[in-house]
Amino acid sequence: MESSNHGIAVSVTILLAVILSLMPLSGDWIVWKPNFLLLVMLAWVLRWPDEFGVFFSAAVGLLADIILRTAIGHSILIFALCGSIVILVGRWTKYLSPLQRMLMVAMILGLTGLLEAGVYMLYGRPSGIEQLPMKMVLSMLAWPIIERLVIRFAPRRG
Amino acid sequence: MLVNGFTPWLKPVYSAVDDLVRPLYWVASVPLRVQEWSANKATPRSEIEADNQRLLKESLVYHGQLQRMSDLAAENLRLRRLLNATELLQDNVLVTEVIGVSANPLRHTLTIDRGSRDGVFIGQPLLDAEGLMGQIIEVHERHSTALLITDSAHSLPVQVLRNGVRSIAEGTSDYNLLSLKFVSSTADIREGDKLVSSGLGGLYPVGYPVGTVTSIVSEAGENFLKIDVDPSAELDRSRHLLLLFTSRDSDSDTAK
Repeated sequence: MESSNHGIAVSVTILLAVILSLMPLSGDWIVWKPNFLLLVMLAWVLRWPDEFGVFFSAAVGLLADIILRTAIGHSILIFALCGSIVILVGRWTKYLSPLQRMLMVAMILGLTGLLEAGVYMLYGRPSGIEQLPMKMVLSMLAWPIIERLVIRFAPRRG
Repeated sequence: MLVNGFTPWLKPVYSAVDDLVRPLYWVASVPLRVQEWSANKATPRSEIEADNQRLLKESLVYHGQLQRMSDLAAENLRLRRLLNATELLQDNVLVTEVIGVSANPLRHTLTIDRGSRDGVFIGQPLLDAEGLMGQIIEVHERHSTALLITDSAHSLPVQVLRNGVRSIAEGTSDYNLLSLKFVSSTADIREGDKLVSSGLGGLYPVGYPVGTVTSIVSEAGENFLKIDVDPSAELDRSRHLLLLFTSRDSDSDTAK
């Protein structure tokens, strides 16, 4: 019962993230737009680390690859890496304040952003590293809303 | 990643997903539509009337210029026939609307609301009111995907309007920047020069605005100049675009 509720909640939040990802923007906002799918995935893994692990992260990554039209595997790796980091540090996050959690998410996004940019540079493609700090700040600002949404959809037992 | 990079096997998957995701594009553009609608509703009547008057005057001026252009085009055609030169291509256009933009900031693509049932084809050029936007790379029944000229995978043959110096304009993954390739350090090119499509390669027709040269840097030891170009088209803003249908039929010069 619980897991089917989560299924619906996860689907709804991911659908919202997809819609936000597809929302047309203009000017610099296009490159500064946070990766909403990644943020939603992180929120679920942080909230329920026992239910949503690396496979869930990779599955959302696959969806991101298809929606964002990146090479299949690109987002899978990044999402799985982010999911793994969150699972590793997850046991301490309950002691963190909301602001500290925002900073932690920004750091994880920064780390994976650097890794992604490094791979792009290796292939001689534009990395978009200049936009990374602003993207981190905007993702950090979007995080409390996403976290609150996930908590509202799936309150912790007990 | 290897399968995706080196084979077309995953294209049907992407194509099927595109059809599924299309309604989401519509939903995602609702805030923009609401904003446009509210902006229209909030505009005072006097301002709309003033706009209407201005547009009527502009239309009159453009019609006058079009008459002159038709005359010049006919004269040009006669002279080219006298010289036994090939006939100039005639361009028909079809108005289309952007229904989605790529969610990946490093991939510059647009989804438009015209597809195979409107006669859209792969490689078809796409324009906005200011200049060349890109080309169609995928066609579905009711919608298509276009690759913009600023995508890092896109190159476009161009020439300087002032003197015809040819080059290749490459995308840089920045909506406001193109890079000119293979321009020798002795070439006659200046900041402010206008670039148009050269028609080489046969994909884009000749003479459409591409951009303006904004900076030229000559680095010691490099054979070619480093040239930045500001694209003419409003690649990250335009919503109403034109699909170009090029034909050799010189009598059909009306817009669809």
